Amino acid sequence: MVDFVLLHRAALAGARSGAFGTSMPEKRITLEALPEGHVLQVLAGRATGDVTALVASLGDGKAQSVRPVGPGQWFVVGDAVLSTVDMAERKARLSGQGSMADQAHGRVRIAISGTDVEAVLAKGTAVDLNLCEFPAGRSAMTLIGHISALITRTGEHAFEILVLRGFAESLWDELIEMSLEFGVDARPPV
Amino acid sequence: MASLIACPHCGPRPKEEFTVRGDAGITRPEPDAGADAWHAYVYLRDNPRGRHREHWHHTSGCRRWLIVERDTVTHAIYSAVDAAATGETA
Ligand SMILES: [Zn+2]
Repeated sequence: MVDFVLLHRAALAGARSGAFGTSMPEKRITLEALPEGHVLQVLAGRATGDVTALVASLGDGKAQSVRPVGPGQWFVVGDAVLSTVDMAERKARLSGQGSMADQAHGRVRIAISGTDVEAVLAKGTAVDLNLCEFPAGRSAMTLIGHISALITRTGEHAFEILVLRGFAESLWDELIEMSLEFGVDARPPV
Repeated sequence: MASLIACPHCGPRPKEEFTVRGDAGITRPEPDAGADAWHAYVYLRDNPRGRHREHWHHTSGCRRWLIVERDTVTHAIYSAVDAAATGETA
């Protein structure tokens, strides 16, 4: 019996949309809300040894789907919404070596790209994002301004930011402000 | 973002990402240790000048407890290690 219908609303559904800042076509920043598929938080069990390979098997096969957050902690992300059956199947792959919970209701992904994207993010975080220090696939949990976020490089000029749902729109606005000198196209979910 | 702490898991990060708990050299008394021992454990702290070992939590990073040795006069950081690696619990 359902007393009320749950309303699924994308975290960034009402976020600012459109073109902002100066018009520098070759340096333009693109900000894009990614599908709210799955965000699995995985924690290694106590005294289980190295479970990196097991955790890697939880990914959907796409590059950078498995993101280390700290010792024995990962986020496994993807565009697909996982059913209860999918979750049980993935849990089995961990074979009791860790725990796993879908946090897709609580964390959202934002893609940011452009030739000067490192300069944009450097306004908010102290992490060295230079390509040599921070190659594609590298992740860092850090602060962007006062907002906690996981930054992952997905390409030479592209990053993904994983942020708590309640902070997503604030961060979105800040990323637009940080990108104004290059010009920015902001694309929230349609 | 002047003071950088080299987290053993995350690399150099500004102090704003951390929360300080205080002296890492204090041990919890036995439950029946008596009021004086518990009063000292809960309330009394030295205020050392110079080298000091403290528990720091990398709150906005790996969320691990660290033991940071720093100079309370110069703010120089001498070392930062995972608290679990030293066998100490926070
Ligand atoms: Zn850390």
